[in-house]
Amino acid sequence: MSVTTSLQGKSGIGQFLSAIPGAGILLILMLALFTIVNPRFVSQTNLINVGLQTSLLLMIALPMTLIILTEGLDLSAGALVGLSGVIVAEALLAGWGVFAACTATLAVSIAFGALNGVLVAYLALPAFVVTLGTMGLMQGIALVLTNGDPVGGFTPAIEIFYRSQLWFIPLPIAIAAALYAALWLLLYRTRLGNYVIAIGGNKDALRLAGIRANLVHLAVYVLGSAIIGLSAVLLIGRTNSAHPTVGIGMEFEAIAAVVLGGTSFEKGQGWLFGAVLGALAITVLRNGLNILSIDSSLQVVCIGILLILALLIDQARKQFVRRAT
Amino acid sequence: MMHGTEIQNEQGDRSLHTPMAAGQRMAGRKADAPLLRLVGIDKSFPGVHALKNVSLDVYAGEVHVILGQNGAGKSTLIKTLYGAYAADRGHIEIEGRRVAVAGPADASALGIAVIFQEFSLVPYLDIAQNIFLGREAAFSRFGLVDFAAMHAAARIILDDLGLDYDTHAYAANLGVAQQQMVEIAKALSQNARVLVMDEPTAAISERESDRLFQTITRLTERRVAIVYISHRMKEVQMLGDRITILRDGAVVTSVLRDQKSQAEMVGAMIGRASGSQLVRTPRTPGEPVLSARDVSTAKLSDISIEILAGEVVGLAGLVGSGRTEVVRALFGADPIAIGEISLLGSRAPTTLDGRVRAGMALLPEDRKQEGLALPLDVRDNATVASLWRSFASGWFSPAKAERDTHGLIAQLGIAAHSTRQSVHTLSGGNQQKVVLAKWLAAGAKLFLLDEPTRGVDVGAKAEIYRLIDQLVDGGAGVVVISSELPELVQLCDRAYVMRDHRIVGHLAGDALTERAILELAVHQ
Repeated sequence: MSVTTSLQGKSGIGQFLSAIPGAGILLILMLALFTIVNPRFVSQTNLINVGLQTSLLLMIALPMTLIILTEGLDLSAGALVGLSGVIVAEALLAGWGVFAACTATLAVSIAFGALNGVLVAYLALPAFVVTLGTMGLMQGIALVLTNGDPVGGFTPAIEIFYRSQLWFIPLPIAIAAALYAALWLLLYRTRLGNYVIAIGGNKDALRLAGIRANLVHLAVYVLGSAIIGLSAVLLIGRTNSAHPTVGIGMEFEAIAAVVLGGTSFEKGQGWLFGAVLGALAITVLRNGLNILSIDSSLQVVCIGILLILALLIDQARKQFVRRAT
Repeated sequence: MMHGTEIQNEQGDRSLHTPMAAGQRMAGRKADAPLLRLVGIDKSFPGVHALKNVSLDVYAGEVHVILGQNGAGKSTLIKTLYGAYAADRGHIEIEGRRVAVAGPADASALGIAVIFQEFSLVPYLDIAQNIFLGREAAFSRFGLVDFAAMHAAARIILDDLGLDYDTHAYAANLGVAQQQMVEIAKALSQNARVLVMDEPTAAISERESDRLFQTITRLTERRVAIVYISHRMKEVQMLGDRITILRDGAVVTSVLRDQKSQAEMVGAMIGRASGSQLVRTPRTPGEPVLSARDVSTAKLSDISIEILAGEVVGLAGLVGSGRTEVVRALFGADPIAIGEISLLGSRAPTTLDGRVRAGMALLPEDRKQEGLALPLDVRDNATVASLWRSFASGWFSPAKAERDTHGLIAQLGIAAHSTRQSVHTLSGGNQQKVVLAKWLAAGAKLFLLDEPTRGVDVGAKAEIYRLIDQLVDGGAGVVVISSELPELVQLCDRAYVMRDHRIVGHLAGDALTERAILELAVHQ
């Protein structure tokens, strides 16, 4: 075996195909299955619906990918979505402009991201525990602000924004696509992207290279929270109301999407596109089961099974590759 | 940014060095002044005088080998040079200028690069990204990194080293030798003039080593100075232009390649006059407790050893020679590819817990990680391998465990004020006794002791020796791994010597001397 064949590059179509994670395979299978069982699945309305749901999930799963690449985790993402929505809604009700309301929620999101980031990066506390704590904190604040009730009756501008289209593409889908492009550039075309991967892979090496690794680490949490917080604006546009508990479980789906897509919790191994595959797989599964009118509690069971299946496929393939070489 | 200490020996102790001879030998290399000088470096840690007035001259274009046993001070020396430690006394000069190295960044700016055994690559960045980690700005335009240019630059550096690696390969997919080459490339891209390599061949194959040596030769031709830490005689004699031997933190001698024979160098590493005999009371061993025949694992080849009841057998060899792997394989912690192990006359159980039940015990090298549950107390740790003894009519009986623990504390002389004292508050020696207590309680017949006296003080050492005597008097077989040769020679009835993951010799009786061990361990 020559040196060059043993060094697997990360480019090349064959490489790409062999790198399709279990989620990709399951996604194709599910698409085929649902189409056969009920052709309504591939109707334009339904596909747009899938696109919208995927987009909302991606608004959390994409920044979550960056955080997981640093060997981190953000369990507070769902709670932040709930809190941010409440802040926007309350601010609008209090007569603030849309821009001011969004700025306020952005500020709060950044503050909580910074809190997570400082505790994880500078104090080296485990991200799991830190964000579990801030999750409770944010959820509590959202409930206190609203007495646990949904907040509605604010300006329809947000709903109009949510329902508008860019050319013929629904705006949320366009925004998710733009976010993907922006984070792709950040991760794969800037220094910061290299440093994100380096934090997960070997933070000491980054520090020894003269980079303020803790600052980069902190920045990832701040950026992630900023995006996640702003995504709440889209979410309240969907129903034109803010529910303090709407985000509960979203962190689970986002993390599941990232992991389904083949991103590892260790060593900065992963890829941004995996989150897209994972989010699509979860949304398609949910949507298909809906069309088959399967109970929503059962859907959660199915997502769990999907996750385990995808991991099994990846594991089996890894062993197959190891045996082949 | 000096280290706030007086400077001694401004002129340095030049008597140890031979710059004139070096100048003659490197005629045409213009080596009149050393590129790097360490002058009178002294460094102490609590309880250890790690470096004693160490002075060292390194010339551009030479390979300067630093030779010494484990614990001679090689690692401390590198870390001081790299700014990871501040020297208590002494200073560093580059091209005759005194420089302050307060941290890795300073070292790097001065052109000093260190390639540690633990690499500093990021697994899921590619080769180019790793080489230029932290220096992407040179390839950036409008905030975006021009990776094509970065790969081109990496290509040039790799080509320069004669490496055909794909610059897009992730570090995670590289072998150890390849990662090492990338580290070298990284150092060169930072214009390193002094390259320090810490036992670079410890984890790579012979063919890969040859490639490394070619690279080193290339580098010296380009006037890079190599500081090469090793204890492999063959490499030392092949590569080293100058050889400095460290022992117990001090420079013993600094010579040019052909000035000393291999035997003389080994002698200088050991220090004591060879043939100095320690008194060993001969023991009368009994039946075989364990015998391994032609055992091979992923990391070992053809290991055959036999341990008899009532004897202490040493496993000698340098760090990385495979000693720990042998006891792990015997204990069932690492899978065995081929070979046979029998225990007390019958075939050894295949599983680890089976072997424990059959009477094997392992005192691991890293007692804090593998030997003990640090936050738990003496009782929990001492009874964990024999918990079944603490059950009365089906239920765990704390009183029974308490009684047994009291017995063990008395038997081994563990200095704990209560059975409920958590073991992380015990001294190293007492922690080691708790690990032994665990196995004594389990009724072990074969004790595998991996560096049993590492990190314990002199008094505790003597007690551990006494306990080992107690074990063999009780009919147990004991295997001892130790990097301290005097300890091995004193403690063991006989010893197997390892090199490169195989057993290369067996010494018993009068033949078991420090010198004999070291010659086998470093030979070729």
